Amino acid sequence: MIGSNDSFISNLQKKHYNADLRSKGREGLESLSAPTRRSERWKYSPISKLLTKSLKSCAGENVVWPEAIMPNPVPHLNAYLMVFRNGFFVSSLSDLPYADGVICTSASQSEYEAIDGTYHEKEWVGAMNAAYHQDGAYIKIDKGVVLDRPIIIHHLTNGEDIASLPRHSVILGDGAEADIILWNSATEDSSGMCNGIFEAHVGKNASLRLEKVCNEHGDIYNFSHESIRQERDSRFVTNNFTVRGSWVRNELCIKSQGEGTDSVFNGAYMPADSDHVDNHTTMDHAFPNCTSSEMYKGIMYDKSTGVFNGKIYVRLDAQKTAAFQQNSNIVASKGATINTKPELEIYADDVKCSHGCTVGQFDEEAMFYLNARGIDEESAKSLLVQAYIGDVLNSVKYEEIKNEVVRLYSERHGWL
Amino acid sequence: MLKIKNLHARVEDHEILKGLNLEVGPGEVHAIMGPNGSGKSTLASVLSGREDYEVTEGSVDFDGIDLLDLDASDRAREGLFLAFQYPVEIPGVSNMNFMKAAINGKRAHRGLEPIKGKDFLDKVKECTELVELKGRLRDRSVNEGFSGGEKKRNEIFQMAMLEPKLAVLDETDSGLDIDALRVVSQGVNAMRSSERSFIVITHYQRLLDHIVPDFVHVLSEGKIIKSGGKELALELEEKGYDWL
Repeated sequence: MIGSNDSFISNLQKKHYNADLRSKGREGLESLSAPTRRSERWKYSPISKLLTKSLKSCAGENVVWPEAIMPNPVPHLNAYLMVFRNGFFVSSLSDLPYADGVICTSASQSEYEAIDGTYHEKEWVGAMNAAYHQDGAYIKIDKGVVLDRPIIIHHLTNGEDIASLPRHSVILGDGAEADIILWNSATEDSSGMCNGIFEAHVGKNASLRLEKVCNEHGDIYNFSHESIRQERDSRFVTNNFTVRGSWVRNELCIKSQGEGTDSVFNGAYMPADSDHVDNHTTMDHAFPNCTSSEMYKGIMYDKSTGVFNGKIYVRLDAQKTAAFQQNSNIVASKGATINTKPELEIYADDVKCSHGCTVGQFDEEAMFYLNARGIDEESAKSLLVQAYIGDVLNSVKYEEIKNEVVRLYSERHGWL
Repeated sequence: MLKIKNLHARVEDHEILKGLNLEVGPGEVHAIMGPNGSGKSTLASVLSGREDYEVTEGSVDFDGIDLLDLDASDRAREGLFLAFQYPVEIPGVSNMNFMKAAINGKRAHRGLEPIKGKDFLDKVKECTELVELKGRLRDRSVNEGFSGGEKKRNEIFQMAMLEPKLAVLDETDSGLDIDALRVVSQGVNAMRSSERSFIVITHYQRLLDHIVPDFVHVLSEGKIIKSGGKELALELEEKGYDWL
């Protein structure tokens, strides 16, 4: 029983892989309650409207793929492809790597268990995914193996009152390297929820890169939770672009589990209309000599609302930590709102930590300088916006992804 | 080319220009000198269309167009160029994208297609040589991390790229060492033609040794109080403004 929200997920199918996790998820659903504004973590991102719906799980494999959506969202990129629809794996549209030391398959078909995080113990949303996830990517790269091409995990939500619950697991052995693109789409006529979890374990001296794009049309509540665990001397880089989405919450939790880890996490969001974008990040430093660098940049248009909450823990033993955090926001319209909150908890005494958070408008001097050269207001704004999020864009490794992200932003915001 | 009649302008409650008259013919170089606070930079700002300045009276005719009726970008597209006293740094916008957008804005205004890649690059090469602007600077973000001299050279580079009908140089000599002053002046002199006019705003006579004006005007308390030939600048250098 989950109280008054019983019908919300009662239509979800029971799946059988990951049985232990599912039973823990069900326990979580019983003991936790759905988020409300009363909880600090959800204060600015209420979901009461979603909870009035009755969502259903809808199979993906045997339904015609919608024409408006390319199965591969970055067709020019030389990459492997895993396609999911409404939580289910679409093998006919996928192109998997087959190589020694690489396992890449749909989770329901693998004999391996998912990485068993603790999110389902803490959050109702996480418990729901643990209990009812439909499928997901399972990627395991053996010790020392470098994946020759990136893997695109493309998830499409398509249909009315859909509950998509993908759950992806990535395990990198010691010294292994992989680049993953996590791309979420939804068609114009879609509604419901995409509650996705991405868990990764990055082995000693291994390197994981995650480029994440949300480009959802329709009326979807997108809950994305990424949980990254980094072993000694490993490296993790992620860039997160919320290109489109009526309600998006990105949660990123990075836990350093050994000395010498390096974590770089950036994000850019430019919500318009009445979009809502929430970025919650947590960086947990528990070991010495680790570095982390975080930069999130947002431009708020129209009546959009945004949230940034960046937590950094530097635990007692995490001496010589260097942690940097920056969140910059431009409020471009009178009706737009951003709530931003850096939270640093530092218990070690020999650390370098800095954080900065700004909310402002477009730089009038720069604007006039561009105008005075014959660049009109609209073009000047698009130049300044691209420059503004350029720091995040330039951190993307693949030009093809960068170009596609810029193209999508341009399409939405009418850049030239 | 330019006819300024009885121009009054203010910032907030301060009236700064108080009935300024000036005519600039094609191909002429006019120097405007004057003490601090006389309204020199205000004139540059008003002409270029900065919004903080309110014109309360008077008119500015630019080749038959009512200049004051246009916004800043349209003034530039009509052929007006302001070399800034303090060029603005714009991190993340490359000098090249900036110039391409500016040239294409101007071309669109005249109903022309965007400039071809090769033509653009040829022009860039020609203009960087003119102001001895190294490729390294050319490829960086607009003015970001440039020294004072590099910023001013970049202004002249932009002027050369945009080929204006009228260029207003607002204290372009401030903060320049002798070498940079020479390079900037050479750039301006190379651009002089019978079609193109200049208004050179400066505190110091030394710039006018390099860019020799046809006319020199003294601006004081928002009005031009004396006009003469290039020899007036020398006289001002010697005697200051008090005797006027």
